[in-house]
Amino acid sequence: MTATTGFRSRRAAEVAARRPAAKRVRRREASFGYAMIGLAVVFVAVFTFIPILASLGLSFTSWDVISSPKFVGLDNYVRLFTDGPVLASFGVTVVLAVCIVALQISLGMLLAVLANNRKRNATRVFFRTSFYLPLLASSAAVSIFMGYIFDTKFGLINYYLNEIGLPGAHWLNDPFWAKVTVVLVVVWQQVGFTFVLFVAALMSVPVDVQEAAAIDGAGPWRTLFRIKIPLISPTILFATVIAMINAMQLFDQPFIMTKGGPGTATTTATISLYQAGFQNLQFGFASAIAILLLVIIGIITGIQFIAARKLVFYQ
Amino acid sequence: MANGFSTPIDRRTLFKFGGAGLALAGIGSLAACSTSGSGGGATGTIKMLYFGEQSAATALQKAIEPKIRQLDKTAKLQVTAINGTDWNDFLAKVLTQIASGDVPDIVSVATEGQQLLASKNLLTPLDDLVTKNLSGLSTYFKGIHPSLVESTMYQGHLYTLPDSFNAGSMFYSTSLFDKAGLSRPAANWSMDDFHSSAESLAKVGGSTYAFDWVVRLWGSWTSFLYANDGNLLEEGRYSGGDWLWGSKAFDGNAVGVSGRKGGWKWGDPTANSDAAVEALQYVIDLQKSGASPSPDVGGGGTLQGLFASGRIGMTIGGGFWAGGLHNAGMKDGSFDVVEFPTWKSNKSLFGAGGYGIFDSSKQKDLAFEVIKLMVQPESFDALWPGNVTTPAQKSLLTADRYKTTGPEHWSVFYDQLDNSVPISAPPYYNALATALNQRTTQAISSGNAKKALDGLQADIEKAAAQAS
Repeated sequence: MTATTGFRSRRAAEVAARRPAAKRVRRREASFGYAMIGLAVVFVAVFTFIPILASLGLSFTSWDVISSPKFVGLDNYVRLFTDGPVLASFGVTVVLAVCIVALQISLGMLLAVLANNRKRNATRVFFRTSFYLPLLASSAAVSIFMGYIFDTKFGLINYYLNEIGLPGAHWLNDPFWAKVTVVLVVVWQQVGFTFVLFVAALMSVPVDVQEAAAIDGAGPWRTLFRIKIPLISPTILFATVIAMINAMQLFDQPFIMTKGGPGTATTTATISLYQAGFQNLQFGFASAIAILLLVIIGIITGIQFIAARKLVFYQ
Repeated sequence: MANGFSTPIDRRTLFKFGGAGLALAGIGSLAACSTSGSGGGATGTIKMLYFGEQSAATALQKAIEPKIRQLDKTAKLQVTAINGTDWNDFLAKVLTQIASGDVPDIVSVATEGQQLLASKNLLTPLDDLVTKNLSGLSTYFKGIHPSLVESTMYQGHLYTLPDSFNAGSMFYSTSLFDKAGLSRPAANWSMDDFHSSAESLAKVGGSTYAFDWVVRLWGSWTSFLYANDGNLLEEGRYSGGDWLWGSKAFDGNAVGVSGRKGGWKWGDPTANSDAAVEALQYVIDLQKSGASPSPDVGGGGTLQGLFASGRIGMTIGGGFWAGGLHNAGMKDGSFDVVEFPTWKSNKSLFGAGGYGIFDSSKQKDLAFEVIKLMVQPESFDALWPGNVTTPAQKSLLTADRYKTTGPEHWSVFYDQLDNSVPISAPPYYNALATALNQRTTQAISSGNAKKALDGLQADIEKAAAQAS
């Protein structure tokens, strides 16, 4: 008993003696941890949260850059919900975004499946590189270049259509075709992103699962739709969310190719924002547009995640 | 299990510091939104924003700085170039720089931004500085068209000293005119003559077009609107300006100052007037007939390329095209210029460019000396090398100047000013320009000028109401 008590007290004394050292180690580790995440926190705070908060604050003011901001309460939001052209630009954005994402995902998947079926690795690498290359080009440069290609009178597209006896279209001067052109150009440039994601995901589908499906008599299409796509559904969700967020912020292509026209046919929400802020010097109103766009993107992304609960299969 | 992140610095403490940091950063960012600005450069350094390439800005700085040193040995000039497709683009970038708090001393200002900057008290009135320096500016005022000076006045005050302008005349391809069997139009040619020429040019065929234009305020379908005796806004003039017009400044000026007032006052919108509908519908019908391609919006680079490659018969341009077409490879003699055709009137449009001083500048006297140097005739080619704009000083428009670039009838550039009105650029110019571009492209795609201009009228009314 005495021996036991003595042992315990010695043990307690040793532990007590070690405690400051352990505390020092924990403190060092904690400091290192905070230092590691600190830069990221500061970066996100300075370049994301503060601009959002500043934007939110500005959206309650009238500010023309030149004079000091004046508090106007909800005036900018009231105007936003009664301003026909600006509201229409949100409609244009949603239409373009849905078309872009649908095409980008389906075309990316189709190309990925085709490339993945190539036996030779070199062929797969060739396709991966080829489809990814447009993504590396500046979207401003691509838009200028595409503006020439789709020009009604002097563009290559109409030239070759005429050569094969087909009438050319007013690609950039007709409200319908201008939207189609913007979608085609964006998808052409962005499809490489989803393509590369899908190729990588398809390559990670376990071979034994595919072999088991084959033994059970599943053909290539059934394997694709019943095995591969469900298994890569988290990647599809990721690609869809990212593509939708990007598409909702569409600016470069319509701004450079059509200046948002003809009329307001391709005026997206971000072009409305640019016009309000940087052309009309209504930065309070532009901030209200930005906040509404943020909210809409948040809602759409939320809907995508809710839908994903039923549609996405996590292993 | 102990969490290494829990004991030594607890979350509450971290959030406290983090919150304080965010608050400080927030205050910092809001301070950046302040428009007080730096009020120009340090004493002795005049900062200037220049519309163009940095190489030209550096050349300008090197050319002007020695002259400034003669006035003040410690003075320096720092010229920063801002690129832009047109004055509208330049103005948007200048305003963005002002928003960042970096306000220079001197800025290039065109008609597009003049009233906006003046109405916001960003520019300082030059009245007193000009009055004090009348003798030093006598050559300047003697040699400039008074309409250019009047166009840079606002509410009776002078805000810039212009050194350049561009009036909307009609350029034509001499080779396409030859192919169409056309001779040079007369100076007082009419819209019927223009239409007849367009019909002849349209028959040349190939991939050529009789006429092309650019969607913008200057030299667009608006030139036809002016010739049709219309405008986008009611034309009026501010009272005042007698301090200049009544002084000895313009003694000896060949044009004279009779009827000059305190600057152009833009009134209610008239964008859907009969004259406007007729003018816009005319260019739309030209396109429908195949005589004209779909116009570009803003800039004018594509049009210049098409004209330089001999595919466009006629287009609207100013003196800036002499250098522009020459630089694009056109040889002297392959293009020429004639006055804009007369419709219901012979009114045409122009825009002027000059230099103003920011109100926040702490060195206004020195800045004005710099401006005086820049508007001297001998400084023009350093500022605008290669005929990329039209000199405001008539003495600079000589056969020798246009010997290399053309056109043969260069005197049209200045003669066009006699019946010109500045482009309608009120303090809410940017909103007007945005609406004009949108509604013009709407009209082109729908073919219905009236409906689009009704929309433009509403847009401008809204912009004017928001600006007031």
